[in-house]
Amino acid sequence: MQNQEETMIEVKNLVKKYGSFTAVNGIGFSVQKGEIFGLLGPNGAGKSTTLEMMVGLRKPDGGTAFIGGFDISRDLKKVKEVIGIQLQSTTLFELLTVEEILRLYASFYQKNVSIPELIEEMSLTEKTKSRIKTLSGGQKQRLAIALALVHDPWILFLDEPTTGLDPQARRTLWDIVLKLKEKGKTTVLTTHYMDEAHVLCDRIAIMDQGNLIALDTPSGLVKSLESDSAVEFQFEGEFLKDELESLNGVKQVGNRKDTYVLYTDDLQVTLISLIQLTSLKNLKLTDLQTRTSTLEDVFIHMTGRSLREE
Amino acid sequence: MKAYWQLTLSQLRIFLRNRQVLFWTLAFPIFLMVMLGSFLGNGTGISVSIGVVDQDQTMQSKEFFKVLANNDAIRLESSISEEKALDQVKKGDLQLVVIIPKGYEEMMKEKGNTESFEIPVYYNETNLAFSQVGLTIVSSVVDGISKEKANYTPSIVTDSRGVESLDLKYIDFLVPGILAMMIMSNNMNGVAGQIAAWRERGILRRMQGTTLKASTFIAAQITARLMLNGMQALIVLAVANLVFGISVNGSWLSLITFVILGTLAFMAIGFIIAGIAKTPESASPIAAFLSFPMLFLGGVFFPIRDMPDYLQPIVNVLPISHLSHALRETMNVGTPFMDLGSNALILGCWLVGAFIIASYTFKWE
Repeated sequence: MQNQEETMIEVKNLVKKYGSFTAVNGIGFSVQKGEIFGLLGPNGAGKSTTLEMMVGLRKPDGGTAFIGGFDISRDLKKVKEVIGIQLQSTTLFELLTVEEILRLYASFYQKNVSIPELIEEMSLTEKTKSRIKTLSGGQKQRLAIALALVHDPWILFLDEPTTGLDPQARRTLWDIVLKLKEKGKTTVLTTHYMDEAHVLCDRIAIMDQGNLIALDTPSGLVKSLESDSAVEFQFEGEFLKDELESLNGVKQVGNRKDTYVLYTDDLQVTLISLIQLTSLKNLKLTDLQTRTSTLEDVFIHMTGRSLREE
Repeated sequence: MKAYWQLTLSQLRIFLRNRQVLFWTLAFPIFLMVMLGSFLGNGTGISVSIGVVDQDQTMQSKEFFKVLANNDAIRLESSISEEKALDQVKKGDLQLVVIIPKGYEEMMKEKGNTESFEIPVYYNETNLAFSQVGLTIVSSVVDGISKEKANYTPSIVTDSRGVESLDLKYIDFLVPGILAMMIMSNNMNGVAGQIAAWRERGILRRMQGTTLKASTFIAAQITARLMLNGMQALIVLAVANLVFGISVNGSWLSLITFVILGTLAFMAIGFIIAGIAKTPESASPIAAFLSFPMLFLGGVFFPIRDMPDYLQPIVNVLPISHLSHALRETMNVGTPFMDLGSNALILGCWLVGAFIIASYTFKWE
């Protein structure tokens, strides 16, 4: 572990309850300076709730967090000075221009960065005088991040920053987040996109039903599967799980709806025995594909469910 | 301080750029004022329509008609047939019919006549108040003529002088009412709708994540709305002045004070509604539920004294009653502020009470 001064965020046993439902069940982790830390999980896992407690928008029912060295339950005002937030599905004042809203938000803080430079960094220069309602989804999201940066915060909280964006806009946003890392900012983001977590995050905490079920680097998480390859297929008719598990080289079997996934270290051996089994039983395989294991598989492996359930 | 100005400026920009809202919040009061003012505005306080059937058709009978016509309070119509005139009385088109029978001139010329000549007057019993006024006027005219004929010199006369030289029409009553209505709906309905919508859309939550203080946010809201209301009130007054020649008789300072008091009181009520309403869709029906009774009971269009007695206690508590009364007194009569202290006090109570409740019911999210 790095030394204590480098720790930007220290989350201790945070709990949030809504009636009898426990949204966040005593989670804890720490984030180092300059890190991009991902909170990953399906909808309703408690990612947003955790993030909102860390930025002071929700009061924890138990535990606390230290952000930039300040206790969120005692020094919220100090915390707010050192953090910048982008919330899920927030709309802004549609009738103001990009420049006007940045000046407005800048006025809420003591310390400010140069607004024209910030607009430039977020690739919004040509939209400086445009009203917010004329911006595209990607531009709005970049503006939301610009608003989080007006006071030059140490730590950035991004709640599902790329949800609903097209692939091009997502890539642009990733570049921005990575550039901020170069500048020494610490970032905490939530996402339910595996590829995004893989590209951006230094470390990932996987959440499910309010619990922290894994915390590691992306490659560390994939390694924990102990199998590098996955075989995915669909078939018609009943199929016994036991028979699949007994195939050569198979370490684990996952399934969701009609699709089965076999995790294996020896792709060739597993494939051969799968084909043999199906021809023996006269079963018709469809949509057969092989790939390397991803974070998605890690999640399925740990919870038995998909990240994005239809 | 920087945040306060930026927020005020932003709010004003949002108002001014929302052309449609800006237009309709101004167009509605002006439209209402011009419509009602044109239809009802020109009548004097009391006007009695009297039909005269001249069966005599002589110099003397025409003289009688002329004397009646000189009276400002009555509108005179000469009818040809008695039947037609009586029919009009029944319908309510005329309040009174005076018939000058044949032989009126002959009687007037006869010097030594001691027998009194009868002039029949028919009136509508269902509208007694107006008929009584008409009867009094006709009697005094007849009295005057008969005294003149008898060469009677009165030993005692009354010397009546008008105390207030105010000639108030309905439009004078209406303009301050419209002003009060505008202040109520722009603030109560406006604040409730806007805050509820901002909360729904997460705008307030995003601001809560900054170091902005709620008090700064609310202060800026108030400032922007005061400026906007002041502007709208001035436009309405200007239109009233240009179209109907209405002017402010009292002190502008006192007028402005009441505009501010009214704005604050109704804004506070708007904040309560925004706090209670779960969605922006439910905010506007709640605001409408409160504003409609106030519109009709609160002395906006009709004088409060015309309300039934059992409603008076309710009416006298409504903030709109005091706002419209104070604005009216200031504009029409020019009553000094100190004499309107009770209105200011009651509005002040609403203001303080509503802000206290609002601070408990207000939610950022």
